[in-house]
This record gives sequence, C-alpha cells and structure tokens, in this order.
Amino acid sequence: MNTIRNFSIIAHIDHGKSTLADMLLEKTGSVSEREIKSQLLDDMDLERERGITIKSHAIQMKYKAGDGIEYTLNLIDTPGHVDFTYEVSRSLAACEGALLVVDASQGVEAQTISNLYLALEANLEIIPVINKIDLPSAHVESVKNQIIDLLGCDESEIILASAKERIGYKEILEAIVKRVPPPTGSSAKPLQALIFDSFFDSYRGAIAYVRIFNGELKEKDEIKFFANNKTFLAEEVGILGLRRIRTKSLRAGDVGYLIAGVKDVHDTKVGDTVTHARNGAKEPLKGYQEIKPMVYSGLYPSNAEDYEDLRDALDKLKLNDSSLVFTPETSAALGFGFRCGFLGMLHMEIVQERLEREYNQNIVTTLPNVEYFVFKKNGEKVVVDNPADMPELGEIERIEEPYIKAQIVTLSEFIGSIMKLATEKRGIYKNTNYIDPTRASLEYEFPLSEIIFDFYDKLKSISRGYASFDYELIGYRQSDLIKLDILLNGEKVDALSIIVHKTKAYDWGRKVTSKLKELIPRQMFEVAVQAAIGSKVIARTNIKALRKNVLAKCYGGDVSRKRKLLEKQKQGKKRMKQVGNVQIPQEAFLAVLQIEE
Amino acid sequence: MRELAVYIHIPFCDHKCIYCDFYSVTTLRNKTRFFEALKKEIDFYARKLANSYSVSTIFFGGGTPSLMEPHLIGEIIEYLNKKFNFNSPLEITLETNPGTVNPNKLKAFKKAGINRLSVGVQSFDDDDLKFLTRIHDSRTAVRTVKKAADAGFENLSVDLIFNLPNQTIKKWQKNLEIATALPVKHISAYSLIVESGTALKALINKGKVQIASTDYDAKLYLQTIEYLTNKGFAQYEVSNFAKKGFECRHNLFYWRYKDYLGLGPSAHSFIEGKRWLNYSNLTKYVEELSSNFNAIKSSETLTEKEMLEEFVMLSLRSEGLDLNLLSGKFGEDWKANNKGLLKKLEENNFARVEKNKIKLTPKGYALCDEILLNFKF
Repeated sequence: MNTIRNFSIIAHIDHGKSTLADMLLEKTGSVSEREIKSQLLDDMDLERERGITIKSHAIQMKYKAGDGIEYTLNLIDTPGHVDFTYEVSRSLAACEGALLVVDASQGVEAQTISNLYLALEANLEIIPVINKIDLPSAHVESVKNQIIDLLGCDESEIILASAKERIGYKEILEAIVKRVPPPTGSSAKPLQALIFDSFFDSYRGAIAYVRIFNGELKEKDEIKFFANNKTFLAEEVGILGLRRIRTKSLRAGDVGYLIAGVKDVHDTKVGDTVTHARNGAKEPLKGYQEIKPMVYSGLYPSNAEDYEDLRDALDKLKLNDSSLVFTPETSAALGFGFRCGFLGMLHMEIVQERLEREYNQNIVTTLPNVEYFVFKKNGEKVVVDNPADMPELGEIERIEEPYIKAQIVTLSEFIGSIMKLATEKRGIYKNTNYIDPTRASLEYEFPLSEIIFDFYDKLKSISRGYASFDYELIGYRQSDLIKLDILLNGEKVDALSIIVHKTKAYDWGRKVTSKLKELIPRQMFEVAVQAAIGSKVIARTNIKALRKNVLAKCYGGDVSRKRKLLEKQKQGKKRMKQVGNVQIPQEAFLAVLQIEE
Repeated sequence: MRELAVYIHIPFCDHKCIYCDFYSVTTLRNKTRFFEALKKEIDFYARKLANSYSVSTIFFGGGTPSLMEPHLIGEIIEYLNKKFNFNSPLEITLETNPGTVNPNKLKAFKKAGINRLSVGVQSFDDDDLKFLTRIHDSRTAVRTVKKAADAGFENLSVDLIFNLPNQTIKKWQKNLEIATALPVKHISAYSLIVESGTALKALINKGKVQIASTDYDAKLYLQTIEYLTNKGFAQYEVSNFAKKGFECRHNLFYWRYKDYLGLGPSAHSFIEGKRWLNYSNLTKYVEELSSNFNAIKSSETLTEKEMLEEFVMLSLRSEGLDLNLLSGKFGEDWKANNKGLLKKLEENNFARVEKNKIKLTPKGYALCDEILLNFKF
C-alpha cells in the first residue's frame, strides 16, 4: 500500500488537463505513442468536441521513481464543469492528492478556485502546476504569485510545465510520489469501497469504478450496496489500464473496477459504498448524496408518432447517465412528452445532442426552469418543476426559488460591466477578492433561474472571454415570482408558460409575443397573441389573417402536381403544433429559447 | 357511350415568354413529323377508346396553335372525326395569340371547324406586355379580338394576368374595362404564377424583379371578381369567368373530374381513375410514336384517397362541392370528418352551402389552397 498513489488533476477548462494526463501516461510507458489519441481520457465524441470531460475515468500507471522503487499511480479524472460538482467531489474523495493545473497565460480562474475548495475539503495534498509555460503569452511570475496567494504555499512547491512540449513530467511524477501520501486503511478491516464512477456496458451491465478504502474485494464475493441495500455477486474485478485488466481481487488503497451483473446503472450510484453482504462494514463512507436535478425541461418528439421511440432513447441514455431523470408528461400544445431533470444547462444540452445524434430523435424542448417551492394559503407545499403545474394565483401565499453562490473571476477592467449584468440577473453582491492587482474574484448570490438561461454566454461576451464562473447551490429563498402565460386566440399555450420574477414579466411578455408574431404563419383567421398574468393581459399583438393562397391555374396537367404539393404542405402542417385553431410551427417553441432577456 | 374531352398540345412558339413553363420549341423544323406522329397517337387511342367514348370537346393548346396553318388543324379535326364519334354540340377551342392571325386566317380556322377562340391577350397595357415579353402590343390585341368576332366567332375568350410588377389597381381596372367592352363571352384572369425554371423566376431570384405581397394580390383578385361579376361574367372557377352558357366545356371536364385524353408532347390524360403523361420532348415524342404507338412517359393509378382529394380540390376550385355527389362516389366519412371546419367556413363567409353544395365565396376562392390544407381526408 505504501507504493500506491491516488491522485486527480483539477483545472479550469482549457488549462491543459487532458494533455497533461496524456504526457504522464506516455512518459510512464502506460500507453505507446501510437495509442495516444490526443486527449486520451475524453472518449466520448461530444467530450472531445466540446473540450470538456463529462464523465470521469481512471487509469493506472507504473512509475519507477528516483528512489528506485516502482510505484503504482492511479490517475482519477474529474468532470470539468459546474454541472457535475458532486461527481467531482466523489472522484476527489477517492484520492489522496491532486495536481492543481493553472494555465500560465490565463492564471487562476473560477473553476480553479472552486475545484481547489473541493479538493481541500477532501483533505487532498495539492501540487500546484503551471502549465503552458512555453506560450509567448505566459506570465509565469504573476501566475506563481496568484497561486501562492491562493494556497499559501512556498514558491518552490510550484512545478513549471508544458504538457504539449513534454516539459516538467519528471518533477510532477516525483512530486506525486514524494508529496501525495500513500493510502491509509487496512485490508483486514471489513470492505468499504467507494464508487466514484459507473457506466453501462451493453454486454456486462453496470460497471463501477471503485476505490477500496478498507478490506479486500474478490471475485465471487457476495457484495452489497449501501444506498439501496441490494446484493450482487462480484463477477469480475480488476484494475484500470488502457483497458480493464482482470486481477480477481482489489485490496485497500487500490483503484479498479467491479462487474457484478448489475442490470441498472442506477444501482451503482456515484458516491455509494460497496461492502460484503455478510460481515460487511457497519457504516458507509461519508459524503454520499442522492443526485438531484437542478434544471427541468419538457422534451417532446417533433412527430407525435415518435413518442415511443423517444421513450426508448431516453431509457437507453439513462442506462449510462445516472443523473438523468424523466417522467412522462402531457402538453396541450406539444402532446405526449417527458419532463426531464438535468444537473445543469450543459448536461441538458448534452442530453439533447445525444438524443439527436446517437438516437436520431427530432425533439422540441421547452424553456428550462428550476424547481420551485410553492406555499399555498391552505398550508400545503407544492414542488413545481413545470410552470403548467403552478397553482392558481389566488391560492398562492409565497413562492421560493433556489439560490446559488457564484464565484466569478475576471480582469479588473470588466468588473463594472459584470456587476451591471449581475444586477440585471438579480444578483446579490457579497465580496470581492483580488487575486493579483489585475484579477479579482467576485462573490455573488443569484437565483439559479437567472443563471441557467443565458448568463454564462453574456458573461463571456461582456468580458471578451476573460471571465470564468462557477457556482454551488445554497438553498431556497422567497421571491416575487409569477407565472406568465402565453395565449393564442385566448387559449393558453402551456408549453410557453414560464415562471418569472415580477419585474421581468412585462419585458418577457413583449418579446415572446413579438417573436411569435414573426414565426407563426398567417392563417385563415386572425390570431391574437397575448401574454397574461392570471387573467390580466400585459402584452398583446395580432397576426393578421392570410388573405390569399390559391394557385391560379389548375388544368389537366396540373391536377396531379397540385395534389402532391398539397400533400407535401399537409405533411408540413402536421408537424406544426395545434392550440385551439392556431397552428404553431415548432421553430416557434425553439425560438423562444433564443430570446435574450 | 361515355363523353371524352380531347386536348391536343401544339408545341411550337415564335419565342419563349419569360413567365411560361409550358413545353414548346421555337423552330418549326419538325412540324410535319409532329403532325404525322399526332395522327399515329390518335390511331392508338382510337383503337382503345373509340368503342366506348365519344368526343364532346377538343382543345388545341400549346405552344401557339394559331401559329399553324389552318388546314393542318383542320386535318387533325377531320382525322379525329374519322376515328371517333363526335357528340353534338361539339366545342373546339383554339388558343390564339394576337399577332399570329389575320382576318383570312381566322376565317380559315372557322372553316376548319374551330368554334371557340381563347385569345392570349395577357394585358392591354404595353408596358405589361413588354415585361411579359409578348410579341404583340395592346392595339394588336384589341384588333385580334374584334377581327375574330368579325370572322364569326361568337364564343370568344381572353386571358389576362394580374399582380404584374408595377401594376396599380387603376392599371388593372383599365384592363378589365377594355376586356369587358370587347365582344367576349369569357375571361380568364390569372394571378401571375412564378413557375420554377422560367426566366422570370431567375429574375426574381436575382432581385431584378419584385412581386407584390399576397395582400396586394388579394386586393386585385377581389377587385377582379367584383368587377367581372357586375359585368355579367359569373365566376365558375378560381380564375375563370363567363357569360351564362359560355363556360368552357372542355375545362369543365377537368374540374368535374371527368375523362380526358391528352395528345401531343407533355399532354396529360385521365381516364377511369388512371392518369398518364407524355414525354415533354418533341423529338422523343416523334420517336416513341414511330416505335411504340404511344408516347407515355409515366402513369399512375390513383388510390381512392387520392381521388377523393382531387375531387374535393377540383370541385371547390370550380363550381362547388356537391355533397350528394361526393357521398355517392366516396361515402360519408369526409363530411363527418370535416363538419367543424365546414361550419366555420360558412360562419366566416368563406363558403356558402346551398342545396347540399358547398360553394366558395370570393374571399374563400382567394384562400382555396389554405382551406384545402385544413381539411381532413
């Protein structure tokens, strides 16, 4: 156990985490160069395209250190986005140390800070690494100072590296061996294994990645998951090289995988503890949480007939995405669909994209919203994750919405405009810390609903990319919220209802009604487009009736052509959604998602 | 014997107008071979149909049929008469372009058997005619109609096009006034159709020509219906107006969903629920007829549903949808499925229901395609 080192790499997005991992794998001979695709650890297409690690992975390296001893280094990768904070925390919990990678030209960013806090909470030994020192824009000295301020470490502890140029690997590997403590715990104690990741394999079922804290896990052991108390037989255990390497047993300190004939990935929950069914540990490891979605949205098939296909696709997706939740729902406008819960906006986009790319689903999504607590006058508390389920105005005593604590790191010149944006987004200013004379970390509290929409894009654009952002949920607070309905010829379009702060309702109502006027084609009858709070109309516009649509000629040679054209147009109409007597093109639902506040 | 309408496509033009997408060639090189082939085609269909069908109408369309020598047209009528029984009265229409005929030629056509002329005036405004690249001017157009009447043609029709670029309400009104002052019994007034593949379409795509909005088009259209109706020309189809008894019997065959036989390149036929079309190429047409006896490019047998769709479409576009006739042909389902919409159409003055017949109002004709899209079949 003394020769084992379990570590993670934490970094802000694009600071070179994956390239650094590649360098370590290559230089320890864990993979041949031929095997190195750039960014080896990111193996989902989407991840590579977006340059982010969505799911965490792990890989083992052997390293013969300067002291002549061969060490086993387990690199546990972490997802690099705020949507996956809990998963990051579980990956970190499986380690004793972490490389904190900071880009030499970008410096400390919001994610650097928030991930660092997670690592410190997990009591990890931090090894600061400044990456990309070869870049002409590198400011090694000032980044060093930022890190010293942040960690209170000594300058000599900071390693300078360029993963791309393969500079600094030796120092990093030696530091891991010397500074990261070996695992503690005992193989003689009852089994406690932390699941830090799990995914679904269509041949083997759920595969859990585990870190053994105590005890020994052997094949044919009868095991038990604490979270659901289910028992399984360990079919196969082993370590994680480039591929799975079967070792038949794992001992305290080890990192490896477990296959136990688990059919459902929801049984192998990240953060859960595995023990033996008999004579197992009395207590699970600390820190397990049931993952709860933060953002909800309705997903509907473009064609009503594809409802079952969409259900199948979601079921399959759920197999390897344990944080995706969905329940069937019905919308008067969009028909049968699903209310889906996501960890955050990125997660939502990923799910949508995977449904479209991997499962060929054409979907219409509704405006994302958070989960509200509605307290009724009769004392009842209703949890609302769909605006359509909002109780009547008269029944509501108060509404609470989730708040987050946000960390925004930026150059000082952008502070003014960021503060303005924060005010627009109902932000509550808390604190400013200067990381160095030119960079500041702002602390704010925001309603989560203001953040999920377009906050991040706006932040990036007003700071010309020089702002980073991270957040964590801090609880529910009362707000002056109302439900805003959109009506076409007096009929509610349930899929367009939103819950919004009172001060923003008018503006939103005006924007949506004028957008709809643009997108809903003129029809046989005039269409009144209204935005209303309860029965009070706050914005209104009309779509004039269409006055002419008839082909002038229809003689012998035209009949067939005309019929086929009508059939085609009818198909187009079929794809439209109907509310009352008004046909709404699907683009209208999608366009509402693009409206800027 | 069942009635048959015969359409004959004469694929020759002096030149191609920018808006036209009908098949034609601008050389007369293959004229003789065309007429020989046409006779072969008549032979082919006579063998198949002459026992059960007799001819009620003949329509020479094109192309520019009036470009042909009258005796050539006469020979075709005679040839048809030899092979098929003719009904009485028999309507024989010739599409005639101003500038291609003189009094003598008109008389010769009359003598050859033509008893109805459809004159392709398009506009009585010289700027419009230039835009449309027609070969005639407005004076020639007026004179042609008058000379036709002088030659003894009572059943006279003119074609007009509206919603042309820069066409004011006033200018169009003038067109209608000139047309109704002439000795014509029938007027076809078309809103300009921009067909794909035409020179006009290319001009629009390049931004060189702009077409007015559909609202303006609607305005001109309703103006047309109101004016012509007041002048005694009843609307009996989206774009067609006639004095009582002068509706084009040939076109009514199309709209009443009756059988018609199309001869010549690009012609369409519809007989007993089967539709086919000829090659749209003169050389190919001539070749096919010398080897295969017909020039059919493709054919389709309509399903019951397709026939229902076409029947409803054509009826609504023309004299109205006879619900008794519909039930007899296709059963009661359609009526039941569309009850709500039919009621709404009536309430909003898009249609009137009289004696179990749904007839569109002017406002309804203007939205005919939109209405059709809303029916359930």
